[in-house]
Amino acid sequence: MAAFALALGAWVAAQAPPPPAVPRDDAQVRTGATLFRERCAECHGADGKGVAAHDLTRLWSAGATDNQVFQTIRNGVPNTIMPSSNAPDDQLRALVAYLRSINDSPNTPPELSGNAENGERLFWTSCGTCHKIKERGGRMGPDLSRVNQSRDQLVAAIRTPSASLATGFEPVTLVTREGRRVRALRKSEDAFSIQVMDTQERLQGYLKGDLREVVRETTSMMPAFGTDKLSGGDLDDLLRFLATLRPATPPRRP
Amino acid sequence: MTVRRSLVLATLVAAQVASMPAQERPPSGVTYQDLLKGYSEPTTWASFSGDFSGQRHSPLRQITPENVHRLAARWTFQTGIVPRRGFEGTPLVVDGVMYLTGPFGSAWALDARTGRPFWRYRRDLPTDLTYGAISPVNRGFGILGDRLFMVTPDAHVVALDAKTGTVLWDTTMADYKIGYAATAAPLVIDGKVIAGISGGDFPTRGFLDAYDPATGARVWRFYTVPGPGEPGSDTWPGAESMTRGGGATWVTGSYDPDLNLLYWGTGNPNPLYYGDDRKGSNLHTASIIAVDAATGKLRWYHQFTPHDLHDWDSNHVPVLAEVAIGGQPRKVVMVANRNGFFYVFDRATGKLLVGKPYSDTTWARELDANGHPIVVNDGSKGCLPDQWGSTNYMPPSYDAARRLFFVTVRETCAEYRPVKETIVPGRISNSGTVVRDAERSYGVLRAIDPATVERKWEFKYPTPTMAGVMSTAAGVVFAGDNEGNFMAFDARSGKNLWFFPTGAPIWGAAPMTFMVDGRQHVVIGSGTSVTAFALPAEAGTPPPR
Repeated sequence: MAAFALALGAWVAAQAPPPPAVPRDDAQVRTGATLFRERCAECHGADGKGVAAHDLTRLWSAGATDNQVFQTIRNGVPNTIMPSSNAPDDQLRALVAYLRSINDSPNTPPELSGNAENGERLFWTSCGTCHKIKERGGRMGPDLSRVNQSRDQLVAAIRTPSASLATGFEPVTLVTREGRRVRALRKSEDAFSIQVMDTQERLQGYLKGDLREVVRETTSMMPAFGTDKLSGGDLDDLLRFLATLRPATPPRRP
Repeated sequence: MTVRRSLVLATLVAAQVASMPAQERPPSGVTYQDLLKGYSEPTTWASFSGDFSGQRHSPLRQITPENVHRLAARWTFQTGIVPRRGFEGTPLVVDGVMYLTGPFGSAWALDARTGRPFWRYRRDLPTDLTYGAISPVNRGFGILGDRLFMVTPDAHVVALDAKTGTVLWDTTMADYKIGYAATAAPLVIDGKVIAGISGGDFPTRGFLDAYDPATGARVWRFYTVPGPGEPGSDTWPGAESMTRGGGATWVTGSYDPDLNLLYWGTGNPNPLYYGDDRKGSNLHTASIIAVDAATGKLRWYHQFTPHDLHDWDSNHVPVLAEVAIGGQPRKVVMVANRNGFFYVFDRATGKLLVGKPYSDTTWARELDANGHPIVVNDGSKGCLPDQWGSTNYMPPSYDAARRLFFVTVRETCAEYRPVKETIVPGRISNSGTVVRDAERSYGVLRAIDPATVERKWEFKYPTPTMAGVMSTAAGVVFAGDNEGNFMAFDARSGKNLWFFPTGAPIWGAAPMTFMVDGRQHVVIGSGTSVTAFALPAEAGTPPPR
């Protein structure tokens, strides 16, 4: 997702000379849109909002610069499916121009306050059942080992988790022909079968012919942490803790 | 089946999941006890060979010589990654999930019923790979608990979370920049991940490693080529030649839990074709090594090809079995070697029990008192088997009930032209070329009696093939060829019973089999794909147990 790529961009930028500034140019945006459909949309979605990979429509609002986005496309993201690119600079600049055209307007990244120690305690009492940090925690929610979203994105994900379901974590209930109900997260699906992780974290494949029903839940398996469950102060503490997980240095092997 | 949306239910689910502590979830994954069961657990194929014995012989009986002609493809998985040679791995299957690795540090978890993905992994590789750039293949995972273990083209060994594909630890095996890479499926034993190294065609020194599955810390290392003063160092002209002596360990070995011994093949000496600067027998290259799994110490070895000049690595799956030799049952390890000879050893002592040619090689036809080939043609009396040998790393299989060893044999004709070259770290050190006569070369699937090396039957392929073999208790032998056919044969007669053109050479890959939903599946990799076959649902007979 956006923020993850940003951190990488930041360190790359520190090492490489900045590329030429990206001019605003409608023709360039159109070229970028074509390139995006050909090379990026398989993972990032035709609208850039993410299919198997990250939402690219909130990069600048999370604090990215043109240069960081450029460098992330150029270098890829280590240890992820996002490859590096050896396309010419002008193609990458067109992609950046296109991405900027589909991004929200930037806002100022907020200053983080809060007590990380209390945030860590809160994490392991309220979040760690379903979220992993390194080897500890559950798998029913996204791995947060290197979580790097903006504060706004994280607040939204915690307060109103059902507003935007992460790819690969869409909740479903499978009803077998015998009437057994299997609650699970959808990992993959086609017309004839569905692949899920059930609530015991088992990877399971089902033929739809063996199912009476696939119920697509609209509410995330993650409970909404409203102010009744998580005070504003505790939220700040949790966000402060999560901020300590941001990769300060590239996750590159020696 | 209908589709609807539900809010209420999901809320309940959310509340229940949130209240379920992680530690109350049932234990999952593969235990060492599961690995010991090997082929006897037909829903599972949990290691490269499916069993510590390396026999690649399944007890499954649903697919038979009588019904195999009805075998049909159930699904194909496309990796989307164009390999240099082919898809060489053997997938694992545990609890209905297939775990497979592919070229360029890629891996997937698939639904074994449909081939649909749960997750995928792609390693970010450096751009200056050495052997890993020439051969970016990977041959599979090892598994323990919820952890998968694989090696990489940049010579690392990594552990992945089997549920999500995320990296749990990442340990450097060796420096890829001087020529190392890694391709073989790790072998998981009790509390250790055994991993071999590749890159023996570059100026590297081979080794076999054991890693802690929990942390990735290295437990021991055995260097296949000795250091100065160590046993075997007198078979090299000096220290410098040993530091780059080759002897890689790039095919998964076998394991005897009772003796706690690992059996592993070692590769060619380096440089490949020019040997005057490495005079001596060059231990322990082109050998089988029996290594104590507790300590990493060498228990015994046998060098198949002393001072090899033909790139005849001995990287094969050693096959463990009980075989009657001269009427006496012996616990043995068997190797059909790249040099054209079939060997049977007592696996406790390393005593050579049988050693005879299983191919038409003219290089040697007999072994001397030390078990070394008596070379009768060094190339001056006509062509020799080519540098890929009489067989290669493609796994064979062994049917103990029928006492038949099934092996893909390459009958080839080549001329070697060695050249003295400067050895440069990070550059391949062939030191010569090989000219092959394709017209006089072919492949053959051969069934041999391991006690006598008598050929019981054979099936000829148009060209030399690199496909592996699997056999089953029902009497079906599955094999492949260089033209891309995946085939089934009658184990007794060698009669071809079925074939399926996969569209790309079956190269290095061997079949595996497992039960899911009461149906026996057979899987083969080819080109950019992996395909699963089964009988039509109505044709199936009940599972064998």
